[in-house]
Amino acid sequence: MRARSGIATVVLIGALPIALIVGVWHVLAATGMAPPSLLPAPSAVAARLVQQWSSPAYLEHAASTLLRLFAGFGIAVIAGIAIGVAVTASRWVGATVTPLVRVLAPVPKIALYPAFILTLGFGDASKIALVVADAVFPILLATAQGTAAVEPKLAWSAQAAGASRWRCLLTVVLPAALPSVLTGCRIGLVISCIVVFLAEMITSTDGLGHLLVRAARSFQTVDMFVPLITISLLGLLLNAGFNAVRRRLLAGFPETTE
Amino acid sequence: MTRPVSALAAVIAAAGLLAAWELAAWLAGIDGFPPASRALAQIPRILTDGEALLDIAASVQRMAVGFVLGVAAAVPIGLTMGRSRHVAAFFNPLLMMIYPVPKAALMPIIMLWLGVGDASKTLVIFLGVTLPVIYHSYQGSRAVEQKMLWSAAAMGMGGLSRLVRIVLPAALPEILVGCRTGLVLALITMVTSEMIARQAGLGNILFNALDMAQYDTVYAMIVIVGVLGFVLDAAFERLRARLVAWAAPSHAIIAGTT
Amino acid sequence: MIAIEAVSKTFETEKRRRLPALCDISLAVAAGEFVSILGPSGCGKSTLLYIVGGFVAPSAGAVTVNGQRVTGPSPDRGPVFQEFALFPWKTVLGNVMYGLQRQGVARQQALARARELIAMVHLAGYENLYPKELSGGMKQRVAIARTLAYRPSILLMDEPFGALDAHTRTRLQNDLLDIWERDRKTVLFVTHSVEEAVFLSDRVVTMTRAPGRLKQIIAIDLPRPRSRAALLLDRRFQDYVVGIERLMDSADSGAPA
Repeated sequence: MRARSGIATVVLIGALPIALIVGVWHVLAATGMAPPSLLPAPSAVAARLVQQWSSPAYLEHAASTLLRLFAGFGIAVIAGIAIGVAVTASRWVGATVTPLVRVLAPVPKIALYPAFILTLGFGDASKIALVVADAVFPILLATAQGTAAVEPKLAWSAQAAGASRWRCLLTVVLPAALPSVLTGCRIGLVISCIVVFLAEMITSTDGLGHLLVRAARSFQTVDMFVPLITISLLGLLLNAGFNAVRRRLLAGFPETTE
Repeated sequence: MTRPVSALAAVIAAAGLLAAWELAAWLAGIDGFPPASRALAQIPRILTDGEALLDIAASVQRMAVGFVLGVAAAVPIGLTMGRSRHVAAFFNPLLMMIYPVPKAALMPIIMLWLGVGDASKTLVIFLGVTLPVIYHSYQGSRAVEQKMLWSAAAMGMGGLSRLVRIVLPAALPEILVGCRTGLVLALITMVTSEMIARQAGLGNILFNALDMAQYDTVYAMIVIVGVLGFVLDAAFERLRARLVAWAAPSHAIIAGTT
Repeated sequence: MIAIEAVSKTFETEKRRRLPALCDISLAVAAGEFVSILGPSGCGKSTLLYIVGGFVAPSAGAVTVNGQRVTGPSPDRGPVFQEFALFPWKTVLGNVMYGLQRQGVARQQALARARELIAMVHLAGYENLYPKELSGGMKQRVAIARTLAYRPSILLMDEPFGALDAHTRTRLQNDLLDIWERDRKTVLFVTHSVEEAVFLSDRVVTMTRAPGRLKQIIAIDLPRPRSRAALLLDRRFQDYVVGIERLMDSADSGAPA
């Protein structure tokens, strides 16, 4: 009943703080309370944003960031789901992997970055490895917890119908755990987005993170905002895309609040 | 993965990791990947070096301040969001936009405004902590039984007192899950921001050693940061378990990154 | 056909405490017989059914079906659970097709058989809905069709109508009897409703409180096919129900329910 007008109100209320921030930002810049070298006007940032997004050089940087992001995230999804399922399926794997994960999960993976640089070099490989190291844990944990929580009677129904152990794992346990697995993947996706940017800031010769550091070194304040806004929008876009895929995959599942 | 891991299993896992590292390093035989024994031998030297110790202490202090301030700001916001649809609608889109932005990446801009001192680093840690704590407080507060609040209102409790005396304790288990994620994030943000600012602290020592090709020290620092992460997480988990012994155990996915 | 021989089951709790659930159960069920297992909640009657299904291993004793010892699930014994246990990501048709695909039935034949079964449980037209879009009674009809699809010779029914409202429950009981009259599968039916057990069964097996032991087996000598309306007025039906209720009550001397 209240759906239409309700949604409109929600959107309006939600736009409020963002408009407020941009407004205050505009006033600060326009009145000269903040010098442009410290805080450029929002209009200047927006103009630069549009200019950069149509510049092939900038898009190339964005492309290398995306390439590392997807490579790392892809490996993390495959490894995380495979290990997570194995933890539930095999008592032996579970007993080995669970304490390892318990020890490694709270370790700040970014600290491993120097080790990746030393063993894999300064190129893409070390950055992708860092993304994998960071993104794999939420996916692995969500998969292990999700598959362990599957109602055993679902698996029994499949086994009684003649499904082998592996068949049952792949056609029943994993799909039944899909809501949890996808939640883990979404967390992993945002983490990938963040980590790839940070790795590029620490050492890189290309990518969005590198652009931010390069702008900071030459005190080009406007150019510092552009990659930050790009990565934020990229994150929102990827998240929205992921949610669309998720809705399709979970068509039969009862609604969950997320 | 749903059962807690015994301390013995964690110790065995850690020992296994070190043994695997030692073996892999001997097999690889490259400068950039020293065996565990050589890296571990450096730890006493680092931890008895007064200057390094002071650096680490300063890092940890900034982390603690950022964490406490972050929790203090985030819990009230999250709790009110959970009880009021309008407040939730106000904050949600803003938080969604901030979510994929790497907080440590704000370091160059914040340094421009606040200088390279403690204030910038603490602010970045604060930002890193708030998001997960807000999110979990929000979820916890939203899940509080409406009928519990009706009973409280019938007893004559006002709005604020209901929030503090009913919603806060009821949402505490979930809030503490957020704090646990926040704590890991505080450490990660701290290390990362120091890697980017390259001025003082753990992250700086790590990269200075990398620059000077002191590979044993690099790996020793990685171990120190890793152990710090594990110990902080384990200590907090213990505190959490004691504070909310009445609640069902939670198996939150530790999703940590800035 | 089903022979349960001296089966016991003890569960181990997390703190290494041993909880006896079933104690020395022996029971033989003939082919085509409809047998109900009746007992108070927590008496282990569902566990007994899971052991016959091969889902849970007994701590002692054995179950044989047609002389073969049960070591795991088999399409020969189809379960129907109180919780329906439908696959939420599959449609009604997809759920009913699952077992046929596992049996290697060709797609066209499987489709035809699935549609036939869906019609038999009065769900024609609902093929493409997901379980979440169905009522409880409809979900259980799908679950029954899914199990019948792979033609088990034994049905293991675990309080299948326990989660349904009274009206839906009687309708499904009638439908189940209709289906059963056609090919007279062997049915092992767990319930805690005395009336349901008497209405459906050839024999009713009563169990004691935990740890569950066999108490008494009552043969229900009522004509088939049975009609609920006629039975409710039948003195013999009433006698069975009252007699079994008294029997169950006598076991509960001690703790109040």
